[in-house]
Amino acid sequence: MSIIRSKDLVHEYIRRDEEGNVESIHTALDHVNLNVEPGQFISILGHNGSGKSTFAKHINALLTPSEGTIWVDEMNTSDDEYTFAVRQTAGMVFQNPDNQIIASVVDEDVAFGPENIGVPTEEILVRVDKSLKMVGMQKYRSHSPNKLSGGQKQRVAIAGVMAMEPKCIILDEPTAMLDPDGRADVLRAVHTLNREKGITVILITHYMEEVVDSDYVFVMEKGKVFMEGTPREIFKDVELLKEHSLDVPQVTLLAHELRKSGLQIPECILTRKELLEALTKLNLRKLAAGQTSVASKPEDKKSFGDNVLILDHASYKYSPGTAYEVTALDDVSLSIKEGEFIGVIGHTGSGKSTLVQHLNGLIKATEGHIYYRGQDIYDKEFDIKDLRTQVGMVFQYPEHQLFETTVFKDVQFGPKNQGLDEKEQIKRAYEALTLVKLPEELYLASPFELSGGQKRRAAIAGVIAMKPAVLILDEPTAGLDPKGRDDILGLIKDMHEKRGDTVILVSHSMEDVANYVDRIIVMDAGHPAFDGTPKEVFAHYKELEKMGLAAPQVTYVMNDLIDAGFDVDATATTVTEARDSILKALN
Amino acid sequence: MLREITLGQYYPAKSILHSLDPRVKLFSTLVFIITLFSVDNVVLFAIVLVTLFGIIKMSHVPFSFMVKGLRSIVVLLIIAGLFNLFLTPGITIFSFGFLTISDVGLKNAVLMTSRMILLIIGTSLMTLTTTPNQLTDGLEKSLGFMKRANVPVHEISMMMSIALRFIPILIEETDKIMKAQMARGADFESGGLIKKAKNMVPLLVPLFVSAFRRANDLSYAMEARCYNGGEGRTKMRPLKYSSLDQRAYICIVAYIIIFYAVKVVL
Repeated sequence: MSIIRSKDLVHEYIRRDEEGNVESIHTALDHVNLNVEPGQFISILGHNGSGKSTFAKHINALLTPSEGTIWVDEMNTSDDEYTFAVRQTAGMVFQNPDNQIIASVVDEDVAFGPENIGVPTEEILVRVDKSLKMVGMQKYRSHSPNKLSGGQKQRVAIAGVMAMEPKCIILDEPTAMLDPDGRADVLRAVHTLNREKGITVILITHYMEEVVDSDYVFVMEKGKVFMEGTPREIFKDVELLKEHSLDVPQVTLLAHELRKSGLQIPECILTRKELLEALTKLNLRKLAAGQTSVASKPEDKKSFGDNVLILDHASYKYSPGTAYEVTALDDVSLSIKEGEFIGVIGHTGSGKSTLVQHLNGLIKATEGHIYYRGQDIYDKEFDIKDLRTQVGMVFQYPEHQLFETTVFKDVQFGPKNQGLDEKEQIKRAYEALTLVKLPEELYLASPFELSGGQKRRAAIAGVIAMKPAVLILDEPTAGLDPKGRDDILGLIKDMHEKRGDTVILVSHSMEDVANYVDRIIVMDAGHPAFDGTPKEVFAHYKELEKMGLAAPQVTYVMNDLIDAGFDVDATATTVTEARDSILKALN
Repeated sequence: MLREITLGQYYPAKSILHSLDPRVKLFSTLVFIITLFSVDNVVLFAIVLVTLFGIIKMSHVPFSFMVKGLRSIVVLLIIAGLFNLFLTPGITIFSFGFLTISDVGLKNAVLMTSRMILLIIGTSLMTLTTTPNQLTDGLEKSLGFMKRANVPVHEISMMMSIALRFIPILIEETDKIMKAQMARGADFESGGLIKKAKNMVPLLVPLFVSAFRRANDLSYAMEARCYNGGEGRTKMRPLKYSSLDQRAYICIVAYIIIFYAVKVVL
């Protein structure tokens, strides 16, 4: 007996005008047939807008089908009688950790579900205890959710669902807004629930690495299930996945590339261990006598112009002199050269955002100096407002700052504040919008009508339009799907190459950064721990791991291979480099 | 800067005050306010002051934390104080140009500002020691009789507790959007009143949009967890009076008697 079963499920979003006439119909789900057995760990993959979240809401009876039927534990969700029983059977965890916590204390929030379904008082307490323990959050039961990290909040949300004792739990992109540490914690908690309590899990995600351990995968596109199978079956067809701009784990991609280059390794490799075994089995080990030292190829160091920004022993403390004093930046000295493309990496709370907000004077250092083109920005004479236009800053989730009636006007906002005349404002806005490749027909649309990715581009254009000499982007890819992420990063790289701007990219994803930047600054506890080219930095992959950061998967693969006696380049950071190095080592 | 507002925030600690029934705290706050405004001589003022500080001591909330909540209304306090000081007629005790301070003015100013300060500290003592959920539970239960008059007491208290939960989040969001617009050259400080109001548009529009988005998300999350209004709901910690609460009520009654006895005698 399957726990979830859908037959020809169709969902249409109907937009009506003021008189109630149908304006447009958007088919979000198009005849979806799907079957989930109890105890399975299921993943649903797909882009934003592929219908996966709409499907999730159907399992929870938050939406009811336009056509077709969906049964949860043999209950038809269209039947009002079952609504609450369905929601109890299949609990749901949403994407944004802040927007699903109702109470101001952790345990009261976990109790919210059981209270709603009328569980007797004594039993609520038992359930809350049990649920918090399951996700490892019992230590925080009397804390305020506002003081927790994203990953912790998400685990509280999972506990809140578990307290209703569901048979099945649906997680709608639960890790999209988390840093790598938080992601790992949440996934661990979900896997434990599946393994130890036999809870059916439906994980909706666009991170491929999260899919690898599931029993069965559905890939959705345009409201349809277009691929399904075990992870191994799905990742077999790397080309097809790439065609649909879905991500593939780096290891799988590397194995695929090697196979394409003629190596005899099995199809579809999912883990580092499998790849290592396959390559070892090839028995092509060339333990060249005496050649134990790894020849790392000399790097062509690019040369850059003068220093644009210099931090001279800058420190910053939050609420200095109080019990809440936090040192966010600890004696940082750095220089940033004209035309550099820099990645600033660190986990949440490492001081990376604080660091970049100093560069355009939004935060004033409590100690030390910052120089912009040789001038002290804390000088009385210095025009800090001008600095903000010289050093442009794109914040995390920049689309949240859109406010005008049209996209074009919104982009014009920056140039207008710069005091430029109307003609120049329009020119700047037009240029910026062309640079971010936003389709022209959207220029006069309301920014609130755009899709997530488009909104983000419009917001980035709003900063570029001021023609900053230095462009800072704080987590520009947060919450985007793989395609959106690649588009935005490509765009930034393109702009950097075309205009020669200095670009500073703040991120917690090593893989994102490795492919694009010239220099990486790793922040840890308010201090730059490493500063150098990607290769130099990733050579410290073991230390990076201790900081809660992970080097790109290929770095691990290469080091595995070296440990196994292969003569490969330990400093390869991209799949292409890794492939070339392995091929070279093997013949 | 905006994060430092402590009004309406809960301070987790273990104390007698924290474990009291919210209804007791609501009632005592009401009593406190009434007596505070019936103060008309120094002895009564001393009684209120000593009681309040005794309770603060019992609450295990650091005093500095409460004072912080006052910062946000300092301007209001100063203005109110100055008005009282200069504009109350009476026997002039000091004059400087057109400014005169009368004896009544001085007395009123001191009384007024100290009343305001005590009022804020007293009420924030309640919110600091009571979680918003307990507080709304207390209100819901205390005002339960109004349900018969078709007042949606449960719904109102639910809205209140959600509002309280989202205040810190929205404050943080305001801070973030403000910075983002400042990075685009927006100016929130200079200009006259009208210009200032106009300059707030880039801050307020995104804030409203985000509040609506959050409300939408939250309504889904609540529905997904079987929320269906107040009917048939149980409580993890139903309000039940303990012997501690009884003793507290006795203390409150004793306080009222002492206060009004002193007031009548003096």
